[in-house]
Amino acid sequence: MSGTGTLALATHGLRKNYGARHALDGLNLSVPTGVVYGFLGPNGAGKTTTMRVLTGLIHADGGTVEVLGKPFRRGDRHRLFGVGALVEAPTFYPYLSARANLRELAASGSVVPSKRIEELLDLVGLCDRAGDKVQGFSMGMKQRLGIAAALLSDPNLLLLDEPANGLDPAGIVAMRDTLKALAAQGKTVFVSSHLLAEIQVMADTVGIIASGKLVREGPLKELLESQGVVKARVRPNLVDAAIETLKPLGGVERLTETDRDEGWLAVRVAGDRAEDVSRVLAGAGIYVSGLESGNDLEMLFLELTGGQALTGEGNFVGLAGATNGANGGNGASTGKETAA
Amino acid sequence: MRLFFSGLRKLVRRPATWVTLGMLVGLLVLIVVAVGATANGRTVRANGTEAKQLVTFPGAYDRILQFITGLGGLFAVIYGAAIAGSEWTWGTLKWSVARGESRVRYMLISYVTVAVMIAAGLLITFAAGVAAAIVGAHLANVSTSGLGDSATLGGLPERLLKGWFAVVEEGALGFTIATLARSQLAGIGVGIAFYFGEGFASIFLPDIVKYLPFSVANASLATGTTTAGAFAGGASALPADQALVLVGVWLLGALVVAAAFSDRAEIAG
Repeated sequence: MSGTGTLALATHGLRKNYGARHALDGLNLSVPTGVVYGFLGPNGAGKTTTMRVLTGLIHADGGTVEVLGKPFRRGDRHRLFGVGALVEAPTFYPYLSARANLRELAASGSVVPSKRIEELLDLVGLCDRAGDKVQGFSMGMKQRLGIAAALLSDPNLLLLDEPANGLDPAGIVAMRDTLKALAAQGKTVFVSSHLLAEIQVMADTVGIIASGKLVREGPLKELLESQGVVKARVRPNLVDAAIETLKPLGGVERLTETDRDEGWLAVRVAGDRAEDVSRVLAGAGIYVSGLESGNDLEMLFLELTGGQALTGEGNFVGLAGATNGANGGNGASTGKETAA
Repeated sequence: MRLFFSGLRKLVRRPATWVTLGMLVGLLVLIVVAVGATANGRTVRANGTEAKQLVTFPGAYDRILQFITGLGGLFAVIYGAAIAGSEWTWGTLKWSVARGESRVRYMLISYVTVAVMIAAGLLITFAAGVAAAIVGAHLANVSTSGLGDSATLGGLPERLLKGWFAVVEEGALGFTIATLARSQLAGIGVGIAFYFGEGFASIFLPDIVKYLPFSVANASLATGTTTAGAFAGGASALPADQALVLVGVWLLGALVVAAAFSDRAEIAG
């Protein structure tokens, strides 16, 4: 992890209470400069509360925040001049056009060159609808406009809360490419999301939060390398025998979440060891009828946040294609772990 | 200044601005013309004051202004509440705060722009009312020779300025109520309730109500020839000069509360 000097965003012992409930309970984040940082957590974990604190919408009860290398305290609103944010659902004046909304928003905070608005409308694909009133926009169009609004001041740090919400597949791909391009320019993109697949293909670094605390943070590749899985399907009456056979390779679990899981096993080995699993089973006279492998952010997420580790539902299959081989690892955990 | 001109642009394009102005102008013109058209046929007041006085200059100037500041006060409450409440209901305040804008500056400048719009609305409505009164005078066969009365015209700017100040104070109450409620609808509803509640309470508690915001706003406009309307508390109404000071106090107080609340509030949603 980079030293404090190269962090775009850092929180130390951040606390926020709502009555007796601890929304943030000593949150420590370290977001390096020039990366796409995926901020993950289940519903109610404190993601949106964190975003609100980072954008000055609410005030923390304790702890400190550093934005772009400088302390961000109550009253340090100018620090946000270098930050762009999309917090929760994008909201606009419904009676104004997309262009007018951006123009009026640009009147607050840091100065924005007028040509910037046209550039951003072009970037998010709203040029053709720029003169239309926002009240007629779909959710996806509002989301695009929200991303444009977040980029108004050409920020060095971009805070996005569920940016893929409402976007169509083409919009998601375009958004992803844009965020990666921004990171490549040295800007920092902090993305809060529950879409693990999206984060898995976009983020360089992830932080996973549960119950207001950071439970894991580190480069995505390193975290995934510690989380390989091979799934194999055998005849249901041979599942117990297969589990015994595979135990020498690593931890083995039977998938039982749905009817579709019948006969499926999950073996905790690096994703590139599917061949070993197949060979060992075949050696014992058990032949697999299905085999999948991957390094799964979802599994890591669910384990760290207290969810069911392996659901066996289609998510894994969807992720496997994106990660199989590319992130095959050695099982070493190099991410920063924090007590949950 | 960026924020100020942005606020003006937003208000000019906002349907609520034109609906409010249209309703006020429409009602005023309708009433004045209707009175002029029917004035020869009946007497409308128990004390024998002829309906024709509404269309007889120079007294018509004061009566039109009184109508505007009376009904316009209620409209200002609604308008102020709509502007402040929508910032919370639509979540647009959130954007500006997240861009590093000062909450206090944002809210205060928002209300300054509302005050500018009220000034414009007051002048437009007054002009429409005078035009309607001229039409009404013709319909009622009343002379318009008093139209150019120099003494009345000379005092008109001061009367308009005081009227504007009173309406701005009433608008500020709606603005602050909606800010505290963080809601457009709640702000409008509570604002209207306060407006009529104060008028109703003046029947029973005139010595207290005469210090309240809508009463002082009306009392500040009272002259020797006009009464201060339903809010004045009759004989208990404050002298105009004293009421004018209290209008300033209520205006300042309302804006301080709105700014302080906005500064402290946790913005969500």
